[in-house]
Amino acid sequence: METFRIDNLSFTYPLAIRPALAGIDLAVEQGEFLLLCGFSGCGKSTLLRHLKTALAPHGQKSGQIDFNGVDLQEVGLREQSQKIGFVVQSPEEQIVTDKVWHELAFGLESLGYDQQTIRLRVAEMASFFGIQNWFHEDVATLSGGQKQLLNLASIMAMQPEVLILDEPTGQLDPIAALDFLQTVKRINRELGVTVILSEQRLEEVFPLADRVVVMDRGKMIAEGLPLEVGNQLKKQEHEMFYALPSPMQIHAAVVGDLPCPVTVREGRRWLDQICGPYTEAGEPVAATSQNLSRQEEVVTLKEVYFKYEKEQPDVIKGLNLTVRQGEFLAVVGGNGTGKSTALMLMSGLLKPYRGKVLLNGKAVASIPGKERFWQNLGVLPQDPQALFVKKTVMLDLLEVLSDQKLSEYEKELKINEVATLTEITSLLAMHPYDLSGGEQQRAALAKILLLDPRILLLDEPTKGMDARFKRIFAAILQNLQSGGVTIVLVSHDVEFCARYAERCALFFDGSAISVGEAKEFFCGNSFYTTAANRMARHRFPQAVTTEDVIKACNTTRP
Amino acid sequence: MKDAFSTYHPLVNFIYFAVVILFSMFLMHPVFLCISFASAFLYSLRLNGKRALKFNLLFLVPFLLVMALLNPLFNHQGVTILFYASSGNPITLEAVLYGFAAALMFVSVICWFSCYNAVMTSDKFLYLFGRVIPALSLVFSMVLRFVPRFKAQICVITRAQACMGRDLHSGNLWQRMKNGVQILSIMVTWALEHSIETATSMKSRGYGLPGRTVFSIFYPEKRDRIFLLLFFALSVFILAGFACGIVFVRYYPALGFTGFAPVPVIFYIGYLALCLLPLIIDLVEEHQWKRFVSIT
Repeated sequence: METFRIDNLSFTYPLAIRPALAGIDLAVEQGEFLLLCGFSGCGKSTLLRHLKTALAPHGQKSGQIDFNGVDLQEVGLREQSQKIGFVVQSPEEQIVTDKVWHELAFGLESLGYDQQTIRLRVAEMASFFGIQNWFHEDVATLSGGQKQLLNLASIMAMQPEVLILDEPTGQLDPIAALDFLQTVKRINRELGVTVILSEQRLEEVFPLADRVVVMDRGKMIAEGLPLEVGNQLKKQEHEMFYALPSPMQIHAAVVGDLPCPVTVREGRRWLDQICGPYTEAGEPVAATSQNLSRQEEVVTLKEVYFKYEKEQPDVIKGLNLTVRQGEFLAVVGGNGTGKSTALMLMSGLLKPYRGKVLLNGKAVASIPGKERFWQNLGVLPQDPQALFVKKTVMLDLLEVLSDQKLSEYEKELKINEVATLTEITSLLAMHPYDLSGGEQQRAALAKILLLDPRILLLDEPTKGMDARFKRIFAAILQNLQSGGVTIVLVSHDVEFCARYAERCALFFDGSAISVGEAKEFFCGNSFYTTAANRMARHRFPQAVTTEDVIKACNTTRP
Repeated sequence: MKDAFSTYHPLVNFIYFAVVILFSMFLMHPVFLCISFASAFLYSLRLNGKRALKFNLLFLVPFLLVMALLNPLFNHQGVTILFYASSGNPITLEAVLYGFAAALMFVSVICWFSCYNAVMTSDKFLYLFGRVIPALSLVFSMVLRFVPRFKAQICVITRAQACMGRDLHSGNLWQRMKNGVQILSIMVTWALEHSIETATSMKSRGYGLPGRTVFSIFYPEKRDRIFLLLFFALSVFILAGFACGIVFVRYYPALGFTGFAPVPVIFYIGYLALCLLPLIIDLVEEHQWKRFVSIT
């Protein structure tokens, strides 16, 4: 039976010129795991929100949606609340109450269940999700991953028939994201709940899905089994192709008629088949930290120790790190290893209790704010929203220059220059909070760039960005770098770092345990490396990006 | 470690504190005051450990002394004149003693409130009063969720603004104020913007449907009933003592109160038992646990 049947659905937002959805036809089978992907603004969220009347946006709508064979409009709100579960991107904002147990019970309270039923359902869900250990905690003490699991659990306590998730892992780190997706899969497999999930990062979720739908500009452009979708996109030469899992991209670029691999494991097997018998095991290259001492040191951390409170353990322990003039350094590592803290130490917002943080040879915290952040350090925080203080992007940018003795004309000129560089010229009149995640990131970067920074410190800039925008963002960074700007980037995004950074540092337990040139660095790691490298390392240990692997494949094939 | 009394039903916790605090406020008999203060002191140590000791010694004891010394300066009732102040007003023994008693009362009430705070967590309070006004209890819970988030976001924005050279610690007063107001103004936008998502999440989980129920994780047990019975018996006994005039106190014009005759002493012991109930429960449970561990 079909859980949802969407017939020729079109939708236009008020005042919008082109429709957000145009003639969508889609049927979702009961118990299916459907993955919806596409760039930001392609209409994924709009489509998902139409599947629950309470969340449907206002605008011009045509076409029909049936839920279990009945027109969705006819299905009562009570039934919809219970049967259609909805989880969105931000873990924080979905949580309503202050205690974990209360949050779990919230939906059931709304539906008016009695004490005994709620007690049982909450207990069941807490056990299923492994929440019992933090059942009595305050919500504020949970990590992002735990919060999102709680959101999922509190929906599942209502025993929905279908679970709709709108980019649920966008704000999570890779480990928490994987954990979350595995839980969703478990719900799908063990409880038979239909899952409709939209996602930006496809590497992990592709193998879990039964069927994939790709959208662009409000239309469905590809649909089918995960391994078929790659070929469909390849034929259309669509940009979404570059968002697909690495094994699929590599498969499509190498001539051959073997079935498409989706996971790294399948990729390895496929590579063995395509490259003929296994001849010699490539030696993994050890990461040798070459001393690139040609350039001047701009930021130096010497045996730095830091902790947030006296009784707490050290967050940074004996950290040594140097950043050289004009380089692009990426800092990677797990959650809570002190990456972001290290960035804040570099910016002088935090002071070490032992050791030194030097900026051009001077202790950074002793440099007064004006001097430190004007034509010197530029810091892009993890949450770009934190930078905006005005009604429109334009006013926000003008505010940055309010201290400078420039004529109106000069200010405008400068803003135009930066806006063109970050591609936000068309967004200047909008409220910064109305921009999408990627656009906010760009507008925030524009604000920072007006301060004319020589050293850019970026905290997780690619979080929630789609594959297309990552490429634009990388181009902006490379452009800046060619103008002599030094870039330090903290990220969980191994693929991004591998492709664009020059040097990488791996953080563990409060210090940088390995620093090296990006390529050598990733070749030397066996887990903390790109999917392409994990797939091909037994054949081509030097290949880090998908392009490397494709090149190696095409040259060594028998 | 969590103390045993905290694990009792919230209603029991609330009634206990309400009655004990009322008793401490109105039973001005010196022995009763001392008992109340000593018990509250001990219980706050048990609940909050070193922090309570620090607070009690550094804040409450000096407060007690100052209060006690202030009363005779403003109050000149009483028959036993100690000496005349430079203004010509008499300083009386009764006023000194009453000042001391009032200060002791005040300090023990504060001490009881610190215990109350540790035992009656927000969810217990919500549980009790949520039944009376369910909508308000949800609002209260949402506020408790919102406040820490708001504080954290202020911190994030302040840091981000500091990186734009707009921090709150440099520049002249005007600039600092301007930066501060700017942060506050954006916080309002932020709060409104983000509450939309929360509202969506509430709506999608059926908030607003008729017939909402209230769930709680507290269930009354036998020990709760036993505790209440014992507690009421003791309270009535003590009140009866005062009502019948077996125990009394008078500060003005001359000090007079029941001493340590056998009959009043029974009431003192009763009050001591009442004030120490949480501690006694705690010690008994600890003892039981140790025995239980040693047996198995």
